[in-house]
Amino acid sequence: MTRQKRSRHRLKRTVAPYLYLSPSLVIIGLLMLLPMVTVISYSFQNSAVLRRDPSFAGLKHYQAIFADPVFWASLWHTLYFTCMSVVFHMTIGMIFALMLNSDRINPTLRNILRVLYILPWLFTAVIIAVIWRLLLEPNGVVNSILMQLGLIGSKIEWFSSPETALHAVTFANIWAGYPLFMVSLLAGLQGIPKDFYEAADIDGAKGYQKLTFITIPQLMPIIISISLLDFIWTMQVFPLIWITTGGGPIYSTEVLSTYTYKLAFSSYNLSQASASAVVILLISLGLTLFYIRYQKAR
Amino acid sequence: MAEVILENICKTYGNNFRAIDRLNLSIEDGEFLILVGPSGCGKSTALRMIAGLEDVTSGSLRIGGIDVVDMPPKDRDIAMVFQSYALYPHMTVFENIAFSMRLAGKPKAERKKRVDEIAKILQLTSLLDSKPANLSGGQRQRVAMGRAMVREPAAFLMDEPLSNLDAKLRVQMRAEITSLQKQLGVTTIYVTHDQTEAMTMGDRVAVLKGGVLQQVDTPKRLYESPVNAFVAGFIGSPSMNLFEGTLTGDELTAGTFAIQLRDAAFARRPGLRSYAGRKIVFGIRPEHLYDSSLESGRKYQTLPAKVTSIEELGSEHIVHLNIDAVRVDSGDPDAVRDFGLASNAVAKFEPESTVRSGSEIRLALDDTKLHFFDPETHLAI
Repeated sequence: MTRQKRSRHRLKRTVAPYLYLSPSLVIIGLLMLLPMVTVISYSFQNSAVLRRDPSFAGLKHYQAIFADPVFWASLWHTLYFTCMSVVFHMTIGMIFALMLNSDRINPTLRNILRVLYILPWLFTAVIIAVIWRLLLEPNGVVNSILMQLGLIGSKIEWFSSPETALHAVTFANIWAGYPLFMVSLLAGLQGIPKDFYEAADIDGAKGYQKLTFITIPQLMPIIISISLLDFIWTMQVFPLIWITTGGGPIYSTEVLSTYTYKLAFSSYNLSQASASAVVILLISLGLTLFYIRYQKAR
Repeated sequence: MAEVILENICKTYGNNFRAIDRLNLSIEDGEFLILVGPSGCGKSTALRMIAGLEDVTSGSLRIGGIDVVDMPPKDRDIAMVFQSYALYPHMTVFENIAFSMRLAGKPKAERKKRVDEIAKILQLTSLLDSKPANLSGGQRQRVAMGRAMVREPAAFLMDEPLSNLDAKLRVQMRAEITSLQKQLGVTTIYVTHDQTEAMTMGDRVAVLKGGVLQQVDTPKRLYESPVNAFVAGFIGSPSMNLFEGTLTGDELTAGTFAIQLRDAAFARRPGLRSYAGRKIVFGIRPEHLYDSSLESGRKYQTLPAKVTSIEELGSEHIVHLNIDAVRVDSGDPDAVRDFGLASNAVAKFEPESTVRSGSEIRLALDDTKLHFFDPETHLAI
């Protein structure tokens, strides 16, 4: 082989892997990277999109957002909405998974429950929003049942009173999201060797001890990864809140996603909206890095 | 420490499958009993019933004089070593061994003292802070033993504890477990399908087949006087050769050859005469067949055989042969692998043997080592 031929051969070997990767790299670049970079650049421009030659604005839009009390309210609402959702997704998912995995429940009943429990997952966000708006209407089913039971004295406007609206949307989101946890945890439970429980039986473990010493530690990898993913996803929930309350009343259910949307498409302040979107991006990025780090550590 | 007594133990599953049929066993205090049998014979079910992991359908089960049939596993004062070891992967070796003490609410200092003692016996001291995933197969096995020992139980139950180890380690652990059991003097019931383990480890061996106890005896007596063709075929490796023959006078004929039987053979088995003129099953172990061209085989009578294949193991040759006789199935599903398709007999020859695959030879047979079984019941005569 001549030297020229050999170096060409080497070049081919170095380039080949990138050629194989190039289609996906191009798609990721176009669909993910380009919009992200564009939004970031908008956040530093005056009258982005609206003007053909926007001027550089520096951190002006960020300052404007941070000075806006509604931004801080929506950040707080987002955190409340997300934390409550993840905690209850986890708890309900775990309880239902344990029920579906238990030998003590009649197999037929278990199959019926399995279908019932997974139902919320079959609906899109829009349908879930409509269902809960109907159920939680002042004259809806929930109020009527609660009144018949004597738990409330008068009809509550769940979605339209500032005191209850955030709890109500959070509740709807919890209802919509627990099946992911249930299914993942059930798969995890079925993967725990039976021997562990038998060995624990012989060693004298009680029911709750088996749960705390075997089941939960064994499920920990699943619990942590699904919780992190759920945290990232829930932070960005938009349609459910938009359709049930639209962020109101009086900003009481305003979250970062609705706040950003309003800035962009109600006030047409696309620059500030971009700045707000970048803030969401940074928070999500932080969580994602945490997730990747955790996955690597395993 | 205690004796374990099983009386008429039965286990029937929901689909009417009878896994254990009237099992009677009495295991003395400090005894090492092996439960052995082919896969699906019910040996693991029997052990799990003693442990309390499986319900007893009927019969009585006493450990140390106490009827434990209705007791949960934790109250039976037993410890079990699982085939998979069942070590908790998220706990260290120390935590795994101390688990039962932790559940019992024993103070930390006491736990540490006891685990250290056991770790010393099992040579695990340097590994106490490791997780099971970082241990070798043999070390995991020892941790599983440690977890059983920590409780000072009345009886150890072991469910094929060596089956996940490679051959060399298995030999080593076999010796370790045996000496540990002698040292601790704890009644031990050990399930295995490996008849080498059965023969080398236990004080007595109980052979099960299809949920029915076949024979309980010392390894030596199982080998020398099996009660039926199944035990004869199951104990010993390679398995005993079993053939159909006819007894005429003092002669045992099969196919085109005849074996002369001596008076001693009849004197030892009073029932044998009554089979005169009838079909009979006879058996001979591979180690009692010889190469007639060697010194060791000269003194015996011979029969014609064709060599089909040879496995040279260094210390001995396992020779697969075809002889003119109908082979009898002992009922051991694992025995089939000892015989190729072309051969119906196996012999162990000395390494000096020069027989070649495909050659016709004269096979020498030590007729004093013959076993006889009833052709219908397969019971020993």
